[in-house]
Amino acid sequence: MGRRNNVNGLAANARPGLARLGAIALAAIVLLAACSGATSTPSAAPSAAAASAAAPTATAATPLVVGVLAPFTGPDAALGPAYFAACLPAVREINAAGGVMGHQLTCKQFDTRGDPADAVPAARQMVASTPNLMMVIGCTSDEASSVAPVLEQNHIVSFCMTGQSEFNKSSFHYFHRLVPPDEYDAYAMVGSALDFNHYQRVALVFGNDIGSQAFVAPATRALTKLGATVVINQAIALGQPSYRTEVTKMLAAKPDVIFTEALGPTDATYLAEVKQLNGSMIPVIGTSATIDPVWFKAVSAAIGLPDLLKYFQAVDVSTTFSGPGYDAFKAALLASAADFADAPKYAQRGATLHLYDGVVMTALAMDTAKSTDPAVYNPVINKIGNGVTGATVVNTYKQGVDALKAGGSVRFSGAAGLTQFNEWNNSQGGYILVKYDDKGGEVTIGQLTQDQTNQIIQAGGS
Amino acid sequence: MDLYVAALGFALVSASVIAIAAVGFTMQFGITNLINLAYGVVMITSAYVAYALNQLGVTIWAGLAAGAVCGAVLSYLLNRFLYAPFQRKGTSHIGMVIISLAASLMLTNVVLAIVGPTSVSYTQDPGPTIRIGAMVLTTVQVLIIGIAVLLMLVIHALLTLTRLGKAMRATAANPSLARSCGIPTGRVIDGVWLVTGALCGLAGTVAAMNSDSFAVSNGAGYLITILAAAVLGGAGQPYGAMLGAVLIGVMTELSAAAISPEYKEVVAFGVLVLVMVLRPQGLLAKVGALAPAG
Repeated sequence: MGRRNNVNGLAANARPGLARLGAIALAAIVLLAACSGATSTPSAAPSAAAASAAAPTATAATPLVVGVLAPFTGPDAALGPAYFAACLPAVREINAAGGVMGHQLTCKQFDTRGDPADAVPAARQMVASTPNLMMVIGCTSDEASSVAPVLEQNHIVSFCMTGQSEFNKSSFHYFHRLVPPDEYDAYAMVGSALDFNHYQRVALVFGNDIGSQAFVAPATRALTKLGATVVINQAIALGQPSYRTEVTKMLAAKPDVIFTEALGPTDATYLAEVKQLNGSMIPVIGTSATIDPVWFKAVSAAIGLPDLLKYFQAVDVSTTFSGPGYDAFKAALLASAADFADAPKYAQRGATLHLYDGVVMTALAMDTAKSTDPAVYNPVINKIGNGVTGATVVNTYKQGVDALKAGGSVRFSGAAGLTQFNEWNNSQGGYILVKYDDKGGEVTIGQLTQDQTNQIIQAGGS
Repeated sequence: MDLYVAALGFALVSASVIAIAAVGFTMQFGITNLINLAYGVVMITSAYVAYALNQLGVTIWAGLAAGAVCGAVLSYLLNRFLYAPFQRKGTSHIGMVIISLAASLMLTNVVLAIVGPTSVSYTQDPGPTIRIGAMVLTTVQVLIIGIAVLLMLVIHALLTLTRLGKAMRATAANPSLARSCGIPTGRVIDGVWLVTGALCGLAGTVAAMNSDSFAVSNGAGYLITILAAAVLGGAGQPYGAMLGAVLIGVMTELSAAAISPEYKEVVAFGVLVLVMVLRPQGLLAKVGALAPAG
């Protein structure tokens, strides 16, 4: 090819075998991708040490650890802080009341990166390095399937924020769930679209991660059986710089509404491109995970606050954000801002309320059982949630301890109200239809009637 | 059909962003013999520097310049204080790759600690929409394509017409001989890191301008695409990187149009693997190489 061509290229001397170097680089890239995001806690979230230091003075008894096993990095990094924000007020409240049988509690983060492959070693490392682990909260749909067996084998009580249907009737005795399965989330979206907004043509735009894809099949079944049309189903790769081709394809299908959950910057990018390519927004209904301060901030910046307020609705687990249990939670949450500046942002995040309740319930179960052995106190958790005959309803940990000291039994009605565990440790409330206010708070705009809910569930086949 | 035409338009924008980044990346490798895995995080850091200025009311076009400066300075410092000392000690190629991986992780976490996990958007006016048949592009996107073309011409001119470019090529071909001929290879290497770092910073900022919303986690994704384009075109070959960028951009967008979008990267990387099997040296390795790489 001659001289002219040669001068235009660059090639280092003594170049190692390109194929070999390429292979090395590709292997490193895979490692980098796996670590992307990466290993630290978010800046807004304090370290476990900070959380511990914020707790009241420890007693001689061994401190117990509440593990927050969740994504703190990666595309779903917004989830971990919401769960950490649940742990802090619970621990603060329990420690202020003297701890669990004198044991002070601390919160500790264990990052799963939202990836089942990373979650298992994270869970094993947590178990190996935390002998005084009291319980675990978090475990989203991203990692619950992979970490639940690890937690079960080690007799670790867990309150998970997974909606996967495999936990509807599981054999995991230490697993607890205070939120409905994702299919119910999907059914609520269908109810919102058909019964509340009267849309008929639906575009399903969900991230291609395990958690987000759990909504697709039940939503499709219910929509189809109820006479609506799924005009397009897009499983979009998370974290791409652009989705314009996907958006063009979706808009060509002429949907009335988009159902979505694609976390990280994905929904923000996708919806901004919808607005750009369509000339205006079209209605969007999100899952309960889209009611989140991080999602709100990202999407409102991308499409503009007025359009987010006008075109976006979501579904969320039914909570009133009121009552003595909620007030106690909120006071402790606001006080936790000293440890985690973003904590107050989660005052109206359903998941935060539920996991807070899970920690307090477990602590009361330990007090009731007078044991720190999970095998002993685990069966008592359901009794604290459901109550036994003659139980005193309490709204705070201190009230519960006082009632137990008086010789009674207790039923905990916490930040999210009463729970009702079934035999598989699932407690499921109803759904509300919500939207954001201009500060990112949640505003209830409707609720599905029991008849509507039953009809959709039947259509969905559950 | 309109969908595919529209996808081709978006592919041009994607290819432009990838090309700016991939040319810088492949020049770094070609001249310094280092696969810099911190490239993606330098891109996203530069994008955040532009964002910080943008939030202070500075236009994103000025932010673009700031992104370039950030990329140049950060890359220069990385080489001066991390890579070069290890290279002087004779650290192996795989050792250097691991060091750059470590640099990437450390820098990612520093940036994450500063800006948090929340994704952000530039305040920018996308300008009037330009329609060419079924292609629909914003003015900003057309400008991004223009910037990419201009930069490719500048890189061509730099390498072929300037003393620095010629010194870079000489250093790439044989640094010992280049030194013997009086070329200050140390300063040339510094120049390479500044120039390619500026490309890296520019690429990060235009990528963020194009994507409407970005977060720290995007950095790793950028790197994978860039490496694919660079390897596809022929490692160390600037023109190969340009070709690789176009191919990767077109393949990802067309496959998103034709099949489920979750497979668009699978298709692009499937083609990459195929090319690597059939032509391991890359598409343009022999065309533009100073040394017979292929």
